[in-house]
Amino acid sequence: MVLFDPIPAVVSGASPLSQLLDSLEMALAQPHAGSILRALVVLVVGAAGVYLMLPRGQPAGRRLERYLGAALATAALVLLATMPLQSGSASIAQSQSTFLWALESKSTCYAFHLLAFVSLASALLMVTSRNPVYSALWFALVLLGNSGLYLLQKAEFLAAATVIIYTGAIVVTFLFVIMLAQPRGTARSDRYSREPLLASATGLVLASVLLGTLHYAGRYESWGHGTAGTMRPPAQLIEASAAASGAFREIGGGNREHVSGLGKTLFVDHVAAVETIGILLLAAVVGAVLIAGHKVEGSFVSPKGNPAFQRPDHDHNRRN
Amino acid sequence: MPAGEPILNNYLIVGALLFTFGLVGFLARRNLIVMFLCAELMLQGVSLTLVAFSAFHGTWSGQVLAIFSLALAAAEAGIALALFVVLFRRGSSLDVSLWQDLREADQPPVPDESAGDEKPPETSWPHLPPAGVLPQDAPEPNVHAHKSAPPPEPIGAEAAGRKHA
Repeated sequence: MVLFDPIPAVVSGASPLSQLLDSLEMALAQPHAGSILRALVVLVVGAAGVYLMLPRGQPAGRRLERYLGAALATAALVLLATMPLQSGSASIAQSQSTFLWALESKSTCYAFHLLAFVSLASALLMVTSRNPVYSALWFALVLLGNSGLYLLQKAEFLAAATVIIYTGAIVVTFLFVIMLAQPRGTARSDRYSREPLLASATGLVLASVLLGTLHYAGRYESWGHGTAGTMRPPAQLIEASAAASGAFREIGGGNREHVSGLGKTLFVDHVAAVETIGILLLAAVVGAVLIAGHKVEGSFVSPKGNPAFQRPDHDHNRRN
Repeated sequence: MPAGEPILNNYLIVGALLFTFGLVGFLARRNLIVMFLCAELMLQGVSLTLVAFSAFHGTWSGQVLAIFSLALAAAEAGIALALFVVLFRRGSSLDVSLWQDLREADQPPVPDESAGDEKPPETSWPHLPPAGVLPQDAPEPNVHAHKSAPPPEPIGAEAAGRKHA
């Protein structure tokens, strides 16, 4: 299905500005221009919320901007999930009724929306927290929401591994390092963002491009000749890929192997990659010990009273 | 697909938004640890996309790739946190703008003007020994001075000359 009518070649004599205006006009004349504009407005609202929430050196007493930013970002998220789509063409109207995803009255769908909201809201709070300890804790909540999403997609082992390895080990290591290396109070580097406006604008551009691509890909194109709108591949494609590399899910909905199937795939098809990753982890551990255990010349980590680590100005005073 | 199961597009959208938040945080924050957390957030967005495609195609490949990215993230976290500890010992701050002297030799420093008018914290470089007088033409005397300073003149040189005269 043709998404846009091909834009005819503009007359070569026209100035770039009028060419741009012409192409904008033609884009606005497309049938889905209304929904695209609405999506852009929603994303701009979200980006403004992120900008308001980023630390820009505000005094601690003025929380109003932060709350306003949070409200704007939440409104953008909710609008993205629930905004009705302008029924520009018949196939859109029959495939899905809302803008970005289908709300169906099933418990999985509610669980998905809840987990996705937890994940995204924690990600936003993690990015905008002034205290790095809070950032790490919000990141742990992002990971919990993500592992719930993995469970919804029947990736049980990955969900457990995410909780155990990420939340249990990596985030805790982060907290240790934050406590080791944190100056007193909230540092200046945490109270001032670096170019918050430009960063929010970059995020807006990236989000628009990604969401626009997914929107069109899901609605008008089909992944591997599937049904447009639902994005399911045809049954023979699923069977072919399952025959190629181990069945993930029985086609008829029967029992499937959970972790044993994953283990078989991991240690039969990808055994070289597993060994390589093992060597890489070993190298990383050795390197981390070497880097962190190295005594920095001139640092003040020496214990008091050790004559080998006397500070030079003490010597100077004593000599005078 | 059973009815009511959220379609692939939803997971891809959540993954894309997680990636976007990670990018914004990576660009905007100054704290090295928070920047690294934002990089991990981007990895999480990509992992979610991989798992969604794995469930969509009905094969294990996406999950296997996500497990490998998990192991890579663990290795990366170990190395990066060790580096942060060393950097904090040297500079007493985790502000990424303080480490601009690690840039390429022919690159100009990036002006950093959005930090308000507060002064950066004093870096705790070691004091030079009393004999080590810095020469006048030393470039950037406060940065890595303990490494790049030329060997000082011997202490007794001037006094010995006076005695001879």
